[in-house]
Amino acid sequence: MFLVWLMAVPLAGAIATLIAPKEVSKAIAAITSLVGLVGYAGLLFISRAGIDWAWIPQWGIRFHLVSDGLSLFLLGLSAVLFVVAVFASDAHAGRAYYFWLLVLSFSVVGLFAAVDLFVFYVFWEVLLIPVFFLLTGWSGERGKKAAMKWLIMNLVGSFFMLVGVVALAVIHNQNGGGLTFEISQLSGMSMSAGVASWLFFAFLVAFAIKAPLWPLHGWMPDAYGESPAPVTAIISGVLSKAGIYGILRVMIPIFMPQFREYQTLLLIVATAGLVYGALMALRQQDMKMVTAYGSLSHMAMMALGIFSLTSVGLLGTTFYMVAHGLMVGGLFLVLGMLENRTGTRTIQDMAGLNRSAPRLAAYFLFFVLGTLGLPGLPGFAGEYMIIQGLIASHVVFAVIAGFILIVAAWYMLRVFQAVMQGPARTTAIKDLWSRQVAWLVPLAGLVILIGIWPAGITAHAVPSLYHAMHFALGKGGVH
Amino acid sequence: MQGLVEILVLPLLGAATITAFKGLMPKRLPGIWASLLVAVSFILSIFQDRRVSQLAGSHHVITGVLWNWATGFGPAIHFRLYLDPLSAVWLLIITGVGALIHIYSIGYMHDDAGEPRFFAYLNFFIFSMLLLVLAGNLVVLLIGWALVGLASYFLIGFWYDRPTAVAAAKKAFVMNTLGDVGILLGLALLYIHYHGVGYQHLFAIFTHAKPGSAFFEWTALLLYIGAMAKSAQFPLHMWLADAMEGPTPVSALIHAATMVTAGVYLMARLYPLLRLAPVTHELIGVIGAFTAIFAASIAFFQQDIKKVLAYSTLSQLGYMFLGIGVSAYTASVFHFMTHAFFKATLFLAAGSVIHGLAGEQDLGQMGGLWKKMPWTMGSFLVATLAISGIPPFSGYFSKEAILGQAFNSGHYILWAIGVFTAGMTAFYMFRLFFLTFTGKPRNEHLHEHAHEAPLVMTIPVVILGVLSLIGGAFGGWLNRWLSPAFHQYAGGSAAALESGPLFGTILTVGLAVVAFLVAYWLYVKRDTAPKAGTDKAPGVWMLKAWGMDSAWMTVVVNPLKMLGTALLTVERGILAGVVGIASGVQAWASDLAPIQTGYVRRYALSIMVGVVALLAYYLIRIGFIS
Repeated sequence: MFLVWLMAVPLAGAIATLIAPKEVSKAIAAITSLVGLVGYAGLLFISRAGIDWAWIPQWGIRFHLVSDGLSLFLLGLSAVLFVVAVFASDAHAGRAYYFWLLVLSFSVVGLFAAVDLFVFYVFWEVLLIPVFFLLTGWSGERGKKAAMKWLIMNLVGSFFMLVGVVALAVIHNQNGGGLTFEISQLSGMSMSAGVASWLFFAFLVAFAIKAPLWPLHGWMPDAYGESPAPVTAIISGVLSKAGIYGILRVMIPIFMPQFREYQTLLLIVATAGLVYGALMALRQQDMKMVTAYGSLSHMAMMALGIFSLTSVGLLGTTFYMVAHGLMVGGLFLVLGMLENRTGTRTIQDMAGLNRSAPRLAAYFLFFVLGTLGLPGLPGFAGEYMIIQGLIASHVVFAVIAGFILIVAAWYMLRVFQAVMQGPARTTAIKDLWSRQVAWLVPLAGLVILIGIWPAGITAHAVPSLYHAMHFALGKGGVH
Repeated sequence: MQGLVEILVLPLLGAATITAFKGLMPKRLPGIWASLLVAVSFILSIFQDRRVSQLAGSHHVITGVLWNWATGFGPAIHFRLYLDPLSAVWLLIITGVGALIHIYSIGYMHDDAGEPRFFAYLNFFIFSMLLLVLAGNLVVLLIGWALVGLASYFLIGFWYDRPTAVAAAKKAFVMNTLGDVGILLGLALLYIHYHGVGYQHLFAIFTHAKPGSAFFEWTALLLYIGAMAKSAQFPLHMWLADAMEGPTPVSALIHAATMVTAGVYLMARLYPLLRLAPVTHELIGVIGAFTAIFAASIAFFQQDIKKVLAYSTLSQLGYMFLGIGVSAYTASVFHFMTHAFFKATLFLAAGSVIHGLAGEQDLGQMGGLWKKMPWTMGSFLVATLAISGIPPFSGYFSKEAILGQAFNSGHYILWAIGVFTAGMTAFYMFRLFFLTFTGKPRNEHLHEHAHEAPLVMTIPVVILGVLSLIGGAFGGWLNRWLSPAFHQYAGGSAAALESGPLFGTILTVGLAVVAFLVAYWLYVKRDTAPKAGTDKAPGVWMLKAWGMDSAWMTVVVNPLKMLGTALLTVERGILAGVVGIASGVQAWASDLAPIQTGYVRRYALSIMVGVVALLAYYLIRIGFIS
């Protein structure tokens, strides 16, 4: 029941924004997201909550939601980032903005908690709509183009996934197991190798587009570039994780033999994305694009953790999703503040802003260091586990990943230094307002906590991971 | 355990309080507060070291777990602290020399607007460095390792208005990230094979392992790459010369006395692993010797007082690694200690000179300062004698210990390089001394206004000068002190101090004296200009550090940038192409369906058609529709 409340709160908030005068839209969204965060804190104590209703019995569809170790911390990530995003949003963004933000928050909870494949797919589709409107409504013509690209590419992915979802259930039925969409039922079922491979790639394409993973990132530059900072933070921090999470939640239990078969290919493509994103980030002149392509590289790192097919690699990805979400979300919000103050995103147009805005510079540097994987901050723990997994499976990819960590330090510091340091060329800007500090401090504190105590997450995530993998492997198959 | 936490937390507390309350603190308070905390840390360190030495049995170790760092993929990795005689030596130097340099900085930074920020960074550095040496496993070590790199980044780029400082800071950080990655890979390998990264856990296993397998060589090499980057061993050395962009006390503390010796610490700590990796072990000595002579050649004709000292630091670090390479572990630690004394003296005295000359660092503008700053000159002279290896100054004993053991263990070539480098060292150091303090002033105006530093700066310099004089006397104590640490596991049997052959000592000291006389003849008798000898080969190459910087740019940096640009162009092309196709399709679709308006519906429709076809294809393939 707890999960229902977590979903009902943003939905109620969304409806409230429609009814209430538009001056209080932000206040409603703020209260709603804070209530959601408190509710999430309660969930941490219950740890394993769930609901399981028969939804469309004749098709075997059950409204089955669970918060286990896999989803628990992603739910937390989105609870935290939605609070931060609302607080960072423009008070005059309007009724529709907050409405769609809350609808998005609702669908994200459903997506992360669903363990029935059909319900998962429904939320996957629902999620496209609020993002489409959040992209289209706030940046003029370019925003419309970005929204269109997002919608088209993700619809293509969704249709692939729909095929996969239906096919899996039908095959399960044909095998005599009855009609069901329950992931745990579908895992480990027998399929002919050819069919399984087709379905495997159908799901993979859908998830890779959402993440995005190279080379399916065509929508990313425009969407990240044209959305307002809080929306960018949500897309890069939370929604990108939906793609990786889907691979973990849906594909690992069902398609383990295909993962093994195509492992080398998958590792090569993910590594290509890792290198590609980093080198692109190195040459971008737009600070948001540096972060966007850096993030593309980091998404590939998460994929590598999964494709290592080791328990430590999978655990590393689970952890890294949360860590990266908090840090890249924070980074995009800081970049948004910078853009608001300077009116530009081009790094050559800025220099030496540290002198007039030392606190802004400090938080900027903090999230930069987090994203580049400074040991002591959480990105490092995730990368450590992923690289350990890669060493255990294919050491050459671990070496390349290690090399990319160096490039990451290079491109992240490049953008920080170009904007903040050197002789001041631009006019002075205002430093952070105290209400901005008020939400940056807890966010930074949370990042530090996870960084020095990764076990707080890994210890909880492990049972669910083993659960998911044992469905696929039988006993003793994990190394 | 409790004691260790307090030693660690005090400097962190300083950094946090200064950052939070710098607006409220009156001038000078941040410096005093920061110095006080480090001094208290020093006193606590003495107590902890006494506790370690009084422990019963042969294992002189205090250790404990603060919390689990990560769990879930095998045995937990703990956040573990660890104090043994080896880390105890570093503990004393970091907090002791650190406190002196903090006090000196109160004077040096008194008219800088960023003074509170400076002390916050400095305290943060002390915390990170203490974490590095008090770590009980490689993960905690790596966290400290990266945080000292961050502190170094902060302080090199302290004057962030200067483009050179900013660039130097980035270079230092990125090159050190390379080292971090080496350690990361090495420790992951160890975890995979031995299910743990704790020192005690690993070393107990190493003690029973057979040397020579490829696994041990790779692991040791990867960890050594970390040490190379942090301790600026060739070819990862360029960042250290650029790091002189930071304020001079930073150069003394971080880029001479403590942080750059972290690599020496790590290698000495890992002596049980080096036993198992003979090839890497040998390589460490070879690269150490090469770095020593290579850096000494660059220091020969430098024009900037701090650059000379920076390259001499590189060269002395080379000696320490030479010692590691020939298993002379105690001698290396001994040289670390004396080097911390005399190099801190040299840098701080140089800082007093720069301070007295209103920021001038060019040797061409100095000369004749001995009357103006007698205390500074005296300390500098003592430290110069120490680094040149003239008995009975401290450097003589530690350098002799390394060279003697290189000879005894049959590394004759390394020994010969070390002896020759000792002569070179005496030359460039006395060149520096003479050009700075003796002869006629080369810039009358600056000389006119030159003045001795205030007491708050001079007293720490003199204390360190005295330590440079008498530091050699600590050798016997150090030998006894470290003995339990190097006998705990296999691989440290040759760690104790040895004396080399008498003719070696005579040769080394003789060369140093000859070099001194040459320098005296050139720069005092003949009053040669500082720039002499740098306009043609090989002087011009030596001045330009043998072109290693541009080699890195050509081989690594520029190709990566070009590749990035190429990818960028390709992606823009592809995206433009796709958009072109899409608008073509759109035009076509609008001809077909003139009633339909609005982009979404149109796109959705065309996608639907395509996907239904795809769906049908799938279903046929898997046999639904026959």
